Amino acid sequence: MSTGRKIQVLYIDDEQNNLNGFKATFRFDYTIFIASDTVKACEYLRDFPEISVILCDQRMPEKTGVQFFEEIRVEFPNPVRMLITGYTDIESVIDAVNRGHIFRYIKKPWTDSDIRSAIEEANKFFLTNALLVAKNKELTSAYAELGKFAYSITHDVRGPLLSIIGALDLAKGMDDLTELRELLGLMSDAVTKLDEYIKNTHEYYKLKRGQLLFSEIDLNVLLSDIAALFKIAGRNNNIQFTSNVIQNKPFYSDEISIKMILNNLLSNAFNYQRKNAKEKYVDVVMEVVENDLVITVKDNGIGIHENHINNIFDMFYRATSEETGSGLGLYNVKDALNRLEGTIEVQSVIDKGTTFTVTIPGKSHGAV
Amino acid sequence: MAQYNKLNFIVIDDSKLDCFIAEKIIKNTGKCESVMSFLQAKDALQFISSATPDDLTHTIILVDIQMPVMNGFEFVEAFESLPGSVVNNYTIYVISSSINENDLHKVHNYKSVKQFLNKPLTSNNLSLLLS
Repeated sequence: MSTGRKIQVLYIDDEQNNLNGFKATFRFDYTIFIASDTVKACEYLRDFPEISVILCDQRMPEKTGVQFFEEIRVEFPNPVRMLITGYTDIESVIDAVNRGHIFRYIKKPWTDSDIRSAIEEANKFFLTNALLVAKNKELTSAYAELGKFAYSITHDVRGPLLSIIGALDLAKGMDDLTELRELLGLMSDAVTKLDEYIKNTHEYYKLKRGQLLFSEIDLNVLLSDIAALFKIAGRNNNIQFTSNVIQNKPFYSDEISIKMILNNLLSNAFNYQRKNAKEKYVDVVMEVVENDLVITVKDNGIGIHENHINNIFDMFYRATSEETGSGLGLYNVKDALNRLEGTIEVQSVIDKGTTFTVTIPGKSHGAV
Repeated sequence: MAQYNKLNFIVIDDSKLDCFIAEKIIKNTGKCESVMSFLQAKDALQFISSATPDDLTHTIILVDIQMPVMNGFEFVEAFESLPGSVVNNYTIYVISSSINENDLHKVHNYKSVKQFLNKPLTSNNLSLLLS
């Protein structure tokens, strides 16, 4: 569908001379496929989905061009259909045009410029349609996400708020200070959860609407920025935190996205620990291999059950009731990786731990 | 429910705060024989299916809708497939912060669910429900 490439045109005619002449005339400007019957034509359409324009002769022995177009419309709705015909068939052509089977017809005998302008017009129409389809798809998915957001607001935002309202009401009648303190602690968790949700929503928006900015990244600097916070969390919760950076050459990518990815994976690794485990650890390795950045985040935490592992990147999906997840973290990670054309793999065993491996292709110097 | 002097309660909610609140409010009613909370519906289901039925005390279940792993609806479905002798010992109330119409309508589809309650649970609406 790329505009920089030659337009791909399929021409169907039962007369081999016409086919040969057509190909000889237009092969420098377009990629031409020729077929002397409709069976062969369908094979081409199946094998070359980038064919955007079909020209067909009306008078063929087994079926007319109009019949052929009617037939293929369901299986190949996208290529633009044009009929080549003499005046004698004009009634059936008008009918076919009106029923939407045909974009345009070219009368015989045709001139090179007739064909050329018809192909250019048809291709423009094809590209516009393709763009519309792509935009519609985007819009459909945006609406679906909006729906999910609206639903999650009632739970993830309203939930903690209602809890706090309930807690305040309860606190009014409480005299026991120890009990009151316990309640305050739980209220504080609820507020933290709410804040987490809002931060993640902001991150989601930034990712969706923001531009990627490719620059040279010093992985040591990037990691030490992020690791500082986790080192404190590690000390407080008795989790051993180790990290290793192997970078022998410059790496170009979008720093904000990579920070967000690393931050989310580390947060999960630190949060989803087994409470009573003796030797808790989180290990992160960042290595530039060939042109790719490979990030491995490994923990010996609670693990992810195999029933959930395929869903963990879904929006608002939560695989555990442990801790205060928003259901947006890994969704954001996956979304950022899609934009960076990166991949993520996860290996996990319940009660043994989880390893996430992220691969992000580097951009060549200065590329945007 | 006036026929029972004392009631058992089971609270199922993934929010620790909501469990805490519910427990306190339930205890404050003075009509409670015992109260247990579960952060995971699966654990509650496990408990219910292995508990020995007690003819003298009835159990009220307060279950949240939106929970990870097993949500409130999934819990009710699994609960309804338990033997009748078990099911009859319980009355379920669904409690949620949801104002989603689909959720509200869905509640009516389950015969074991007595009523939908809005969060937060307060002494007032709990007393109303028990009177």
